[in-house]
Amino acid sequence: MMNSNAPSSSSGAAASTDSSAPRRNSKRPKYSRFTQQELPACKPILTPRWVISAFMLVSIVFIPIGVASLFASRDVVEIVNRYETDCIPQPSRSDKVKYIQSSEDKTCNRTLRVPKHMKQPIYVYYQLDNFYQNHRRYVKSRSDEQLKNSNSESDTSSCKPEGTIANGSSIVPCGLIAWSLFNDTYSFSRNNQQLTVNKKGISWKSDREHKFGKDVYPKNFQNGAIRGGANLTTSIALSEQEDLIVWMRTAALPTFRKLYGKIEVDLQENEIIEVTLQNNYNTYSFNGKKKLVLSTTTWLGGKNDFLGIAYLTVGGLCFFLAMAFTIVYLVKPRRLGDPSYLSWNRNPGGH
Amino acid sequence: MKQICINTANTDMLAQDPKKAAKENILMQITNASQMVKLENDPHAAFALIIDGKTLTYILEDDMKHQFLNLAVDCASVICCRVSPKQKALVTRLVKQGTGKTTLAIGDGANDVGMIQEADIGVGISGVEGMQAVMASDFSIAQFRFLERLLVVHGHWCYKRIAQMVSNTSRICYFFYKNIAFGLTLFYFEAFAGFSGQSVYDDWYMLLFNVLLTSLPVISLGVFEQDVSSEICLQFPALYQQGQKNLFFDWYRIFGWMGNGLYSSLVIFFLTIIIFYDQAFRVGGQTADMAAVGTAMFTSIIWAVNCQIALTMSHFTWIQHLFIWGSIAMWYVFLLLYGMLSPKYSGNAFRILIEALAPSPIFWSATLLVTLACNLPYLAHISFQRCLHPMDHHVIQEIKYYKKDVEDRHMWTRERSKARQRTKIGFTARVDAKIRHLRGKLTKKHSTPTSPS
Repeated sequence: MMNSNAPSSSSGAAASTDSSAPRRNSKRPKYSRFTQQELPACKPILTPRWVISAFMLVSIVFIPIGVASLFASRDVVEIVNRYETDCIPQPSRSDKVKYIQSSEDKTCNRTLRVPKHMKQPIYVYYQLDNFYQNHRRYVKSRSDEQLKNSNSESDTSSCKPEGTIANGSSIVPCGLIAWSLFNDTYSFSRNNQQLTVNKKGISWKSDREHKFGKDVYPKNFQNGAIRGGANLTTSIALSEQEDLIVWMRTAALPTFRKLYGKIEVDLQENEIIEVTLQNNYNTYSFNGKKKLVLSTTTWLGGKNDFLGIAYLTVGGLCFFLAMAFTIVYLVKPRRLGDPSYLSWNRNPGGH
Repeated sequence: MKQICINTANTDMLAQDPKKAAKENILMQITNASQMVKLENDPHAAFALIIDGKTLTYILEDDMKHQFLNLAVDCASVICCRVSPKQKALVTRLVKQGTGKTTLAIGDGANDVGMIQEADIGVGISGVEGMQAVMASDFSIAQFRFLERLLVVHGHWCYKRIAQMVSNTSRICYFFYKNIAFGLTLFYFEAFAGFSGQSVYDDWYMLLFNVLLTSLPVISLGVFEQDVSSEICLQFPALYQQGQKNLFFDWYRIFGWMGNGLYSSLVIFFLTIIIFYDQAFRVGGQTADMAAVGTAMFTSIIWAVNCQIALTMSHFTWIQHLFIWGSIAMWYVFLLLYGMLSPKYSGNAFRILIEALAPSPIFWSATLLVTLACNLPYLAHISFQRCLHPMDHHVIQEIKYYKKDVEDRHMWTRERSKARQRTKIGFTARVDAKIRHLRGKLTKKHSTPTSPS
């Protein structure tokens, strides 16, 4: 290498004191692998072997995962029942908003048929469509301090317009999210026998224990002129109001499901489940849809074929690419390290 | 080598306008010399142009300087002697502006400062004449011979590294890529959030994205990346031409990377959204809220972007490994620690990793799927390119990898010598000229009958 020769510059910089340690006679800076950029390194290059093995490895890993995910998703039994239009009696269908805002009896009876054996626990969800819980002003409209601490009751600045009532007294819990709490209720029966829906443990444990206070009670809730949704029992602390806690976890998309409860008995195939629901919630002003969902879960979660299909697609694509590369390398092989590919050999006329 | 001297003849002092006469004289010399150069048909002929400072004062005036430049460019070597510092700078400026090429000036004294500053690249040599040249220069070296290493090794690496950051395997393009991939996902989300300006990510994620989570690998690439080692750079100066020909910094690559960023953003956003759609994402029946979806999407971005940069690197020291995999690990550590802060600070991200996401197989499999889906097109592209259209440094890398340089030393020396362009000046040129001269004499001897000795 060019610079391994000792430079012939003068030794003027060296100290002239005698010492037993070897003196550096030159001005050359101290050598270190780091400063000379000679750290040990691996320099992988993409040889045909690596490329084909990489693609094959990906397809070998992905295809089984895809198959497993697809099977898991197929194992999930899901019943979806859309009811917001059907649950309005015929005469009121021309003005649904008026109906929903009136004080008529809103009981609605639905019938569900179980398509396959459903093992417990069976999760009951309500699904809303076209409801933008992810709108910025909606998401902002809450006061986490107030939810946690009974002393921070008056911390309602971010909650407008649902912060305080007319006389200045704070609303607890304040904000549009709490105000618009979903208030349809469902009760299930099978062969005229009531099915209990367990509504405990439907929210995240961290929410219950750390975000919603055990000594915070609803106050002045839904006292205003316009009612947004459900009422809250003032004697139950917020940490036990699980419907509220679930609702306040704002969803990412305008179509979302929220957990309502769990049914802890098995449902047999072809059983008829009678649902008595109270159609209270107003989704008619914005053309939203309401659906009742019963679903089992597997190790992967609920029903979504997409994950399995995506894995299979990517795995298949990789397999196809591996085959394509093999063909390319067989048909048009390029000997690796062949100097005839250097640019000065390819156009010998000049650089 | 033929020498062309241009000097100011002592003109008749009694002439009307001595300056004008001198200038005409010089112009005539330049014209004659240009004719001579043009009429030369020996391809190996080399000309040297010699000028002194006194002549330069006339030549550098606007009416003559272009003819001078045309002549100078045709010569193999130009020597200006006894020039003032100002003239050095003016000559440099003339060459820079007249030819439009990149100029480099090297000097060691205070009188070189003007020239060093005028040139595109100024190199100062620290030494006997003091440090003024060093202080005025862009690069300073201790000895003149280090210039070779500066250009051919560091210049080559520097070009590749900046190109890597920007475009294809280039750094600047990488910045485009990662910010497009990240920023567009925010934009797509707006379409689903009523265009209200709600961000799907927590504020802290976005703050840390460019600062901490994706910047370290780029720094390590910019500082340490070497496509070929320094010995190869010195042995194959032709590789330097990759920078001169600007092969790595073209619009095609820049747009290619932007396209890659666009594709990645689409894959990341839509795959995550559809995987986490509305159903339960865990066996416990819980559905994903905005914090869970945002965190999962962000995790995929971090993985995809860091794996992408790993694919563009060709030189992995422990530092690169630490920075790349460390950035990814740092994301998880941050998420863990952020989740442990009280909900007053972490809000919806409170315990999101340990409670909601980590126990969910969908979270991990979504990350794996998205990362690979983002990086596979690029991997396929570089594999195809390397197979069908290998570049010089690819071929050389392979020769070193398979140790063919050791096996076939003859080929290696031959290629090395081909990688050097023939020059017309310097020691090797003189040796070559001597050899040609001797060969010429030898063939003449053989072709004509020898006279009796």
